Amino acid sequence: MLFRQAGIFHTDYSADRALFPIPADRWMIGILLLLALAAPIYMNTLYLSSYLLPWLVWTAGALGLNLILGWAGQFHLGYAAVMGIGAYAAVHATRAGIPWEIAIVLAGITAAVIGSVFAFAALRVKGLYLALSTLALQFVMDWTISHVPAISGGTQATLQAPDIRLLGWAVTSDAGLYYVALVWCVLVTSFMLNLRRTALGRALVAVREKDYAAAVIGVNSFYFKLVAFATSSFIGGVSGAILIGTFYHAVTPEQFSVDVSIQALAMVIVGGLGSIISSYFGAAFILLMPGVMNSFISWAATKFGFSLGIETLAHLPQAFYGALIIGFLLIEPLGLGKIYNNIRDYLLVWPFGYTKK
Amino acid sequence: MTLKDRGGDAPVLECRSVERRFSGIVALNGIDMRIERGEIFGLVGPNGCGKTTLTNAITGFYPPQRGHILLNGRDITGLAPHYVATLGVARTFQNLALFNGMSVLDNILLGRHIHMKPSVGRTALYWWLARSDETLNRAAVEDVIDFLQLESVRDELVDGIPIGLKKRVELARALAAEPSFLILDEPMAGMNQEEKEYMARFILDARDERNVTVLLIEHHMDVITGICDRMLALNYGEMIGSGVPADVVADPRVIEAYIGGAHVAR
Amino acid sequence: MDAISLMESAANGALIGLMYSLVAMGIVLIYKSSSVPNLAQGSMTMLAAYVLLAFANSAGAPIWAAISLAIITMFIIGMAIERVALRRLAGRPIIMILMMTLGLEIFLRAGSMTIWGGTTRPMNLGISDAPLFLGPLLINRAYAFGAVVTIAMFGFFVLFFRSRMGVVLRAISDDYTAAWSVGISVERGVALSWAMSAVVATIAGVLWSSVQGVDQSLAQLLLKGVTVAVLGGLDSIGGALLAGVLLGVVEGIASSVLDPLLGGASRDLVDAAMLILTILIRPHGLFGRHDIERV
Ligand SMILES: Nc1ncnc2c1ncn2[C@@H]1O[C@H](COP(=O)(O)OP(=O)(O)OP(=O)(O)O)[C@@H](O)[C@H]1O
Ligand SMILES: [Mg+2]
Repeated sequence: MLFRQAGIFHTDYSADRALFPIPADRWMIGILLLLALAAPIYMNTLYLSSYLLPWLVWTAGALGLNLILGWAGQFHLGYAAVMGIGAYAAVHATRAGIPWEIAIVLAGITAAVIGSVFAFAALRVKGLYLALSTLALQFVMDWTISHVPAISGGTQATLQAPDIRLLGWAVTSDAGLYYVALVWCVLVTSFMLNLRRTALGRALVAVREKDYAAAVIGVNSFYFKLVAFATSSFIGGVSGAILIGTFYHAVTPEQFSVDVSIQALAMVIVGGLGSIISSYFGAAFILLMPGVMNSFISWAATKFGFSLGIETLAHLPQAFYGALIIGFLLIEPLGLGKIYNNIRDYLLVWPFGYTKK
Repeated sequence: MTLKDRGGDAPVLECRSVERRFSGIVALNGIDMRIERGEIFGLVGPNGCGKTTLTNAITGFYPPQRGHILLNGRDITGLAPHYVATLGVARTFQNLALFNGMSVLDNILLGRHIHMKPSVGRTALYWWLARSDETLNRAAVEDVIDFLQLESVRDELVDGIPIGLKKRVELARALAAEPSFLILDEPMAGMNQEEKEYMARFILDARDERNVTVLLIEHHMDVITGICDRMLALNYGEMIGSGVPADVVADPRVIEAYIGGAHVAR
Repeated sequence: MDAISLMESAANGALIGLMYSLVAMGIVLIYKSSSVPNLAQGSMTMLAAYVLLAFANSAGAPIWAAISLAIITMFIIGMAIERVALRRLAGRPIIMILMMTLGLEIFLRAGSMTIWGGTTRPMNLGISDAPLFLGPLLINRAYAFGAVVTIAMFGFFVLFFRSRMGVVLRAISDDYTAAWSVGISVERGVALSWAMSAVVATIAGVLWSSVQGVDQSLAQLLLKGVTVAVLGGLDSIGGALLAGVLLGVVEGIASSVLDPLLGGASRDLVDAAMLILTILIRPHGLFGRHDIERV
């Protein structure tokens, strides 16, 4: 009853093609948007800028990866490198005095151009071999970023990111930075929502599902793989740039290492491949997990009166993180999004559960 | 678009001594074939004689090693499959090639791919750049759904519908492209008599109402003689008979190929 | 750069390369039986080294006894990993399986560090570090020892794949449905391949930790292992051996030429470049079967 479908009739095709045909969904989205807009009012700045903000930016990033992985079905184990390219491009551009609005577009374009190199691997191989070659490309890019002083700003260097300026106004308050992240996340989300109902999205899925069947209806697989890599790299690059601009405020090579690529992959897979809301869940889960783990451990330590060595404390959350990925793949391989869908399906007919097919 | 615009008087499809080998095996040898506008053209032959290979040669999957293929008078030999599709050639596959994870509607919408302009910009600015186009194409798809009576499964996942309907969905996807030339590779394999009759009716209607020229591969001789205007019989990659169905099926070489030499020995 | 030192880099590179082969063989063993690309091979090597250290230090066992105990432990751990984590994923999309091995990688690496800590500890096998000369070339004894052990392992696998159990594994790798239908227990075979791979990882762990000590960096052998395995052909043990030598030599020469130019640490770059080139030019590697995934 909550998500009532009965009584919804569409009289033209555009209504049938609406993003959220069910009113309850529209209400929910509206309320969530309002809550997000009002967050700086009711949320303390610590939570706002150290949880909510990175979550939004990472969600946008994960959606970009989901585009290539979940929609186009192309493996990408070097996504962090692409984000890093965007981040460095933006920092260098702003340091050179280019306005920030233009700098992040440049960042996206740079990432898209270099990220399309990955597509040439996808032209030759797929599946495992594509995964391995993108992993190797990540190493090459990591190496390049950290060994070319012109990019990294010298060995072991941290490059300070100038403050964000929008139309000449410096955005430095926590709320301001938060809104930058929110806008980007909403933009990417609406793009992905549209992807579900446009020819581009269908063509990508066609390439993923059966390349010969795609060819027979006129879909040029290579072109669409290239588009997918370029678009996802654009999203990744801008997300990287925004992550630096709003959250880290300085850029170092380690922020975009192989481990971060795996983290992004984990967000997409733990959330659920090819689903938008799943990327929100996945990003939240992977980002919050270490913090929650840490507080849990220290709570348990005081509660049960044991003390752990500093080494143990440092590595335990990481070990749990690995274990959780394993656990997820074993218990719910379709991810958090699937769990959400199960609940939603239940509510669609609640309280008349027996009407389920 | 009238028929004349689609290539004047040239035959819709012409094969000139097409040859295709697979490392030693000669799958097609010296195939000559002319399919005129508005025809339903039958292609028969025992298993493994090269029918599907000929289809694949035309649609660009296995370009012929020798010979030429002309579509509406234009040489299309060796063009990439996706490009051949944009020239107005649609086909179905013997073993079905639907996108199983998508709904019937999305599958048929994909058939409209060549009429749409998928792009990142149009996706990002859907409301301004893509909505009207998507809606128009959706209407065109609904026509095809009406035509093939697929309303009841429109929103089902393709994976879950029966095989007879899947064949129909694949035909719908091909027709949605508004092709001038349609290749059907055993569209009635595994169907019962009633389903076969439905399918035959759809093929005839497609020709009459949607102006497509059809190349039909079939093992059911009753269907071939019933709806085809002309036909070609293959055996071991060679042409063994062509012409009006009644004549071809009476040809001793064709009978021999199908039933075996011993039975026609007299 | 004179000829002698270049040849020295090549010779030591070949020996190091053979030690890479050991990591690659572990990957190949698993890939052969179940088409699973084990991205946790590096951290299995690291775990094995820690386990050995635990037996040698805490339990105070003599080194050879400790190695035997570590081999037995890792055999069981390898089987357990297959049983618990991989078996249920059979038939799932490859991306899930890749993610699983990545999850294992993180879990085993961080897990070992949680238990044993991250400081580098020495591992002494009693190999003397007196210089060893091969003609004019100075050879590292530890590498030479590792190379000999690797070749011995390869010999063992050649014999093993002729044994009854080995033939069963070959049948599984050839076509597991067919193997299954003639009554071969595919699960047991796959579990055995994981166990053997864990044993190979133990040996690799022993050798590598005697060279560079026991710490997190052992897990980074993964990149070398994967590169060698792909270069040799993912389902070819012999390929892994030769590819190891090839990568070792290329790496040795290239890094001695490139390091001064690029300011060091060019080895990883060379590896990654070799991996990319292999995949783009000859994805099935030197000796692998052709029927791998192509576009
Ligand atoms: N990709 C290929 N590689 C090698 N040989 C092939 C290939 N495709 C087809 N052949 C061979 O070409 C010959 C013709 O095959 P084709 O599929 O065209 O037969 P067909 O007439 O469609 O048969 P059926 O009635 O069973 O569909 C067969 O001998 C087949 O083995
Ligand atoms: Mg056929």
